[in-house]
Amino acid sequence: MAFSSYSSNLLLILLISSLGWLSSPGSAFLTDRERLTSSAIVQPYITECISSNQETFRCWWSQGDFHNLSSPGALKIFYHKKAFGTHWKECPEYIYPNRECFFDRNHTSIWTLYCVQLRSQNNITYFNECFNVENIVRPDPPISLNWTLLNVSPSGLSYDVMVNWDSPPSADIKTGWMRIEYEIQYREKNSTEWEALEMQPHTKQTIFGLHIGKEYQVHIRCRMLAFIRFGEFSDSIFIQVTEISIKDSTFPLTLVLVFGVVGVLILIMLIVVSQQHRFMMILLPPVPAPKIKGIDPELLKKGKLDELNFILSGGGMGGLPTYAQDFYQDEPWVEFIEVDAEDADTGEKEENQGSDTQKLLGLCHPASHHMNTGCSNAVSFPDDDSGRASCYDPDLPEQDPLMLIATLLSSQTEDVETSFNVVERAPAPERGERPLVQTQTGGPQTWVNTDFYAQVSNVMPSGGVVLSPGQQLRIQESTSATEEETQKKGKSSENTEDKRQKELQLQMLMVDPEGSGYTTESIARQISTPPALPMPGEGYQTIQPQPVETKPAAMAEDNQSPYILPDSSQSQFFAPVADYTVVQEVDSQHSLLLKPPARQSPPPCMPQHPLKALPAMPMGYITPDLLGNLAP
Amino acid sequence: MPGTIRSVSLTWVVLLVCLSSRRTSVGAAPICTNGQVGCHVLSLDNLFDRVIQHSARMHSISSDLHSEFEQYFLPSKNQIGRVGRICHTSTIITPNGKENAQRMAREQLTEVILKLLIAWRDPLWHFHQSMAHHHDFNNFSSNKALEMNDMVHELRQGVEKVAEKMQVLGIISNSVTSLASPEVLLPSDSADWRLMKDYDLLYCFRRDSNKVQNYLKILKCRIVPDHGC
Repeated sequence: MAFSSYSSNLLLILLISSLGWLSSPGSAFLTDRERLTSSAIVQPYITECISSNQETFRCWWSQGDFHNLSSPGALKIFYHKKAFGTHWKECPEYIYPNRECFFDRNHTSIWTLYCVQLRSQNNITYFNECFNVENIVRPDPPISLNWTLLNVSPSGLSYDVMVNWDSPPSADIKTGWMRIEYEIQYREKNSTEWEALEMQPHTKQTIFGLHIGKEYQVHIRCRMLAFIRFGEFSDSIFIQVTEISIKDSTFPLTLVLVFGVVGVLILIMLIVVSQQHRFMMILLPPVPAPKIKGIDPELLKKGKLDELNFILSGGGMGGLPTYAQDFYQDEPWVEFIEVDAEDADTGEKEENQGSDTQKLLGLCHPASHHMNTGCSNAVSFPDDDSGRASCYDPDLPEQDPLMLIATLLSSQTEDVETSFNVVERAPAPERGERPLVQTQTGGPQTWVNTDFYAQVSNVMPSGGVVLSPGQQLRIQESTSATEEETQKKGKSSENTEDKRQKELQLQMLMVDPEGSGYTTESIARQISTPPALPMPGEGYQTIQPQPVETKPAAMAEDNQSPYILPDSSQSQFFAPVADYTVVQEVDSQHSLLLKPPARQSPPPCMPQHPLKALPAMPMGYITPDLLGNLAP
Repeated sequence: MPGTIRSVSLTWVVLLVCLSSRRTSVGAAPICTNGQVGCHVLSLDNLFDRVIQHSARMHSISSDLHSEFEQYFLPSKNQIGRVGRICHTSTIITPNGKENAQRMAREQLTEVILKLLIAWRDPLWHFHQSMAHHHDFNNFSSNKALEMNDMVHELRQGVEKVAEKMQVLGIISNSVTSLASPEVLLPSDSADWRLMKDYDLLYCFRRDSNKVQNYLKILKCRIVPDHGC
């Protein structure tokens, strides 16, 4: 409904305006209407009356087509003030060259209705107009227009400018008589459209967003506050800012910094991602799992002891292959436990490596140059950590006794036999006091095939450990009995209570009768125990089993001799029971019936019990799954 | 959910309306009376600025209305008839030039302003009423008339406050009688305005609002010249 009324009003306005043009040609200038261009003769008219300072005003006229009235004085302007009265006064001051009538202050009244008329000398009124002076005020243009550069954008493409000017001098702003607001317009040099900024009463204004390199034209005009008539435009000024060098602009520097940091970050990320596994290793080092080089890890699982023993004992492929099978190739953190193999290709380190038991007993290979250090425990262990206890430090040869025990205990399977052979082969000491136990020259086997475990009977004050032999002593046939050369002071020798064979020329095994756990009677008689006898460097040695038919008495006589020469011909087992034996049964009185040491050939484990085919396991060692076969 | 959205939008609308109304009504800001606690006392030049800005707006509205009237109704061909127009405030003696205004005493000037404002209170109210009843004009014109009416009222209150302050500060003497009894200021033949046509009334009011604006500015630049003159 409002819209319809509004549209009807618009139509009305259009009608009125069109009618207005036709009806009143003489009242055009006050309402700013366009002058009608028609074929009719243009009569003389007053062009405009303008006041610039609201104190005086001027009127200009034109004779139109009436050229005969162009002479000065032909047309006159009359005016009168106030609503009533017909007393017309003539223009107080003519300026004929301009066809201008000037009303000075005395003749100017504000807020007073003025009517001016253009008359000819014949009192023909050509034009009539009424106005108030305050409504015809058009202020003069501002003066002293100038600009200053405010700032340049960081990209260096645009800038801001502050434009200053002064108010028109004719306008009395100081007393408040005139209140003026200004309008700035600017445009690019080649453009046709001006851009106008918002009007404001101050004498300065900022133009934002001008472009570098372009030239701009700026001019300004003003008008009275709350009025509609603008004054003339001022003279234009031209603004142009060319490419300026960014002296201390930090924009590119910050850009470079940002991009550099981002690039470095990306690089670091790439490195981290590519070397992820290495970082994982450093951060989370893998827990070493038991893995034996050259052995399928599947065999290390439970229940596969047969194959493992088979392999380790040299079956299958003839012993452990020297080359590591490709079981753990892709796991770089896998460190293998070096198992001493009966291999000719093994390097020096295996030659230097005596069995742990040997070293423990102090029977070391003679080092050629070092005599007095005995069998030091500076074992030439291989450099790689082949599964030994972590507390072992191969660089410290002084921690001998405990370390040897530790190594003895931690080595999984050690074929002492093979190790002896290895040791036998003229080992050259890697380091100084290398305890190399050399039992015999030549003969393949000299040493007792010791077990895993040997009971420590006593610890000597000197630091040596007295071991008691394991249960089964396999005495190796030795063709040549070589003198044992143990010069080093090493561990205490261990002894058994057994006799020796003559060929072996084994040295005396020391026994502490008090320390031994138990012994049979026969053993006790055979013990020749001068406790002072332990020569340094005596180590463990095999015992030739005493032939049974030897009389105990004869044996007893030989008790005093430090050397018990075993029978050469026989290799018999020693009758008395060893420290380790198998619990045969538990009798009714809850006492353990131990099994005496059995013959060599059969394994002493449970001869009376029918067992299933036992694997070739180390002597004296029962796996837990075999335990179930034991008699209750 | 839609209920909350509606309430939120309502609050926003209310806020916006309040803000816009605050912006338009310049003179509506409360001026503290003496002794009010926590009230920010305005300085004289601030008061003047507010009043002057208000009068400028009033004048602007009157000009718009007048030009609208000129569009709706042809100015009479008879220019003499235009001359016959007399405003009811013509009896009030007002300086009609710069020198005259500057020569006039402050108290007199203040009184003139107040007289003018008071004289236009009733005519504008009736003008607004007539505009509301006549549906010839669109809503914008009637809104402007109403606004004009309110502004005269507010401006008068503002000028009174300014006069009070000036009296307190001793700038003018207490001889301003307008504050005592506003009805004294009314011209004796004040009923003439009822005979005026709307167009003439607008013309007169436009003129008088400009007078008020000018007088106020002169007064300000005479009393507190340093701020924005």
